[in-house]
Amino acid sequence: MNFAPRQQRHRYGRFRPKSGAGRKPIRIALAGNPNSGKTSLFNAITGQHQHIGNYPGVTVEKKYGRLQFKNELLEIIDLPGTYSLTAYSLEEIVARDFVIKEKPDVIVDVLDATNLERHLYLLLQFQELGVPLVGALNMSDECAEKGICIDQEQLSAILGIPLVKTVGTRGAGLSRLLDTAIQVAKRELVPDQRHLNYGVDVENAHNQIIDWLKTDAAFIRKYPVHWLAIKLLENDHDAIHKIKSEHTEAEKVLSASDHIRRRLEDHFHDDSVAIIAQQRYAYSNGAIRETIRIDRSRPALDWTERIDRIVLNRFLGIPVFLLVMFLIYQATFGLGNPFAGIISHWFTHLAQIVKDYMPAGQFRDLITDGLIAGVGGVLVFLPLVVLLMLGLSLLEDTGYMSRAAFVMDKFFHLFGLHGRSFIPFMLATGCAVPGIMAARSLVNRRDRIITVLVTPFMMCGAKTPVIAMLSAAFFSRRAGLIFWGIWFFSWILALMMSLLFRKTFFKGDQSPLVMELPPYRWPSLRSVMIHMWQRSLAYLRKAGTIILAAAVIIWIALNYPKASSNVAILTPPPAENELILSVSDSTLHYSFAGQVGRFLEPVLKLAGFDWKLGVSLFAGVAAKEIIISTMGILYGIAEEPAVSLNQSHTTSVGYQIRNDPSYSPLVAISLMLFVMIYTPCLATLVIIKKELGHFKWALFQAAYTLGLAYLLAVIIYQAGTFFQHILL
Amino acid sequence: MPTDSTTTTVQSLAEIPAGRHFRIQRVRGHGEIRQRLIDLGFIKNEGGAVVREALLKDPIEIVIKSTHISLRRSEARLIDVEVTD
Repeated sequence: MNFAPRQQRHRYGRFRPKSGAGRKPIRIALAGNPNSGKTSLFNAITGQHQHIGNYPGVTVEKKYGRLQFKNELLEIIDLPGTYSLTAYSLEEIVARDFVIKEKPDVIVDVLDATNLERHLYLLLQFQELGVPLVGALNMSDECAEKGICIDQEQLSAILGIPLVKTVGTRGAGLSRLLDTAIQVAKRELVPDQRHLNYGVDVENAHNQIIDWLKTDAAFIRKYPVHWLAIKLLENDHDAIHKIKSEHTEAEKVLSASDHIRRRLEDHFHDDSVAIIAQQRYAYSNGAIRETIRIDRSRPALDWTERIDRIVLNRFLGIPVFLLVMFLIYQATFGLGNPFAGIISHWFTHLAQIVKDYMPAGQFRDLITDGLIAGVGGVLVFLPLVVLLMLGLSLLEDTGYMSRAAFVMDKFFHLFGLHGRSFIPFMLATGCAVPGIMAARSLVNRRDRIITVLVTPFMMCGAKTPVIAMLSAAFFSRRAGLIFWGIWFFSWILALMMSLLFRKTFFKGDQSPLVMELPPYRWPSLRSVMIHMWQRSLAYLRKAGTIILAAAVIIWIALNYPKASSNVAILTPPPAENELILSVSDSTLHYSFAGQVGRFLEPVLKLAGFDWKLGVSLFAGVAAKEIIISTMGILYGIAEEPAVSLNQSHTTSVGYQIRNDPSYSPLVAISLMLFVMIYTPCLATLVIIKKELGHFKWALFQAAYTLGLAYLLAVIIYQAGTFFQHILL
Repeated sequence: MPTDSTTTTVQSLAEIPAGRHFRIQRVRGHGEIRQRLIDLGFIKNEGGAVVREALLKDPIEIVIKSTHISLRRSEARLIDVEVTD
């Protein structure tokens, strides 16, 4: 009865629909635990020939690569790293569904040879899926160092699958691994299809369920029946769902399997999940004991434990973490900002060249102020993204990221967040774009969404000059205090909102912190570089197109339709400032944005804003620093290119509005809070869409922050006005 | 820090101080968290040790099946153990 999976595999293996023209590649899926070195093995095999996509319908990343190896065309698919194949995480469901539905020709399970007992646990589950398997004994170099001797032949005989020693970081053993995988895929080498014996009682129960499943012949051709029976014993909700929706005798099968499972549990006085896991581990442990010898005469220096004595020390842990974060922050923004400045300078320069060589006109303005400024606005972030990705992959690949989560978890857990949420927050104080990208390290989707939704509240590099300008203009001597207060408020708000999200939309169990603290390892340079390169490209592709389009739209909204006096706008700026300001002012006045601003003035007034502020805030959605330059236009200061803000310019805007009678310190406070909270910039919105996989999240982000900002600004302004009346 | 004599009474893992060894009796709870713990090797009769605790005594670091694993105390509470040293 255990041969059912094999028959079924044959049937499907031969009649797989042809995909397009050309030779069909041999499809090799790489599977393995997190920290098995699977990614570096994948990188070593595929090198630059990798593609990143998503598994259909989910945000789990799918990496694959094609290459020519000897005479074969190979397609390597990197399955998500998992400890098990349950239905509790997207990664696990994706991995097992891929095996069932896509039927790769062979699966290479990457095993950490220094910790085989744990890694065989997953291998046994792949074996249950009835797929052709090859095991890669990875990190075999570390085995030698640690005095671990593996009797490879014996282990291979016990498991019934071929094993190959590899060192992923150095690329050793790869061609033997691929040779073996190809042989298995071509059935020149047939792995034993046995599965582990769960003992008489479980096996009996299991066989009874198989008999029930066989009542639908079409169904068992589609799914590995042996595996499904085990999953039914484990009460796996995805397996139950598959039966419910596709098996003709669903009800009978499920009530029978329920009954069989209960009887088994009564017999063992334990539940089926524990019984089955114990059997798997017992088998794995038995296999290890027969085949592994540890040379005790060479006790390995445990570097990981030595480092952790400092890094995870109760009192040193947080200072060490803050130091590491400070270094990453400095590396990202300290090294990145000069480059960003250079890029921004190039674009200003480019715009100037276009201005010099093209005839003046609206088309030229579109190119310089719309296109060039838009592309520039995206490219400016590139150095930050590249450096940040370098830093993050170093943290992740060395194994420090889990330690950071360990150290910070308690505090963030209080607010419904995870220990790893700190890193996005921290980075967002430089720029929200890399901050949101960093939220990838949160494995649980709910944690990731909450973190992403509150990350833009942080005071980023673009909001800083706006807040600094306003606090300096209105609170000259207490400016520092006010600035600090706004910054502090943004943190409180971020934590409070995440708590609120956790208690409302994302109710339910918080994701556990049950996580491995892997041994420290040197990251492989290749993996780090590939990672950095791919992320940067992805950023450019996605952000470049959408931000560009949006920047042009905002530019049009600010400039069209032109006032009747538009001839004056196109004349070169005269020496006298007076003239430009009135002209630009009138352009904005009659533009779409200006019209909407004036239309909305009654609403804005509740928060103390006039239509000019409304227009500036609207323009600020393109990039927050534009708020100052737009206010500059509206209040009559010669315009500088949006990206290059100099100090004197900033202060002159501040001076101008402070002298405007319609502004008061109260309006300034309300405005500062609004700027801190409201709709994040376009680049951020685009990244949110990309990272969370759906437009609705970007829209929700834009809307809820706008609503929240408006609400708080109105409360502050109205309460302030009320108390002023009482006091005066 | 409580260092009372070694007893064979069943305690929750959350009560075991750093540096002590334990043997697992059973894992309580249900659903995802329980499955995770079991998959990571928290199974009956498995031995392990509490390595250290974070600043506010939470989370804690455990060694089990020669792997270091971090747990919140709330998660450790699901694991019944007996102290073995």
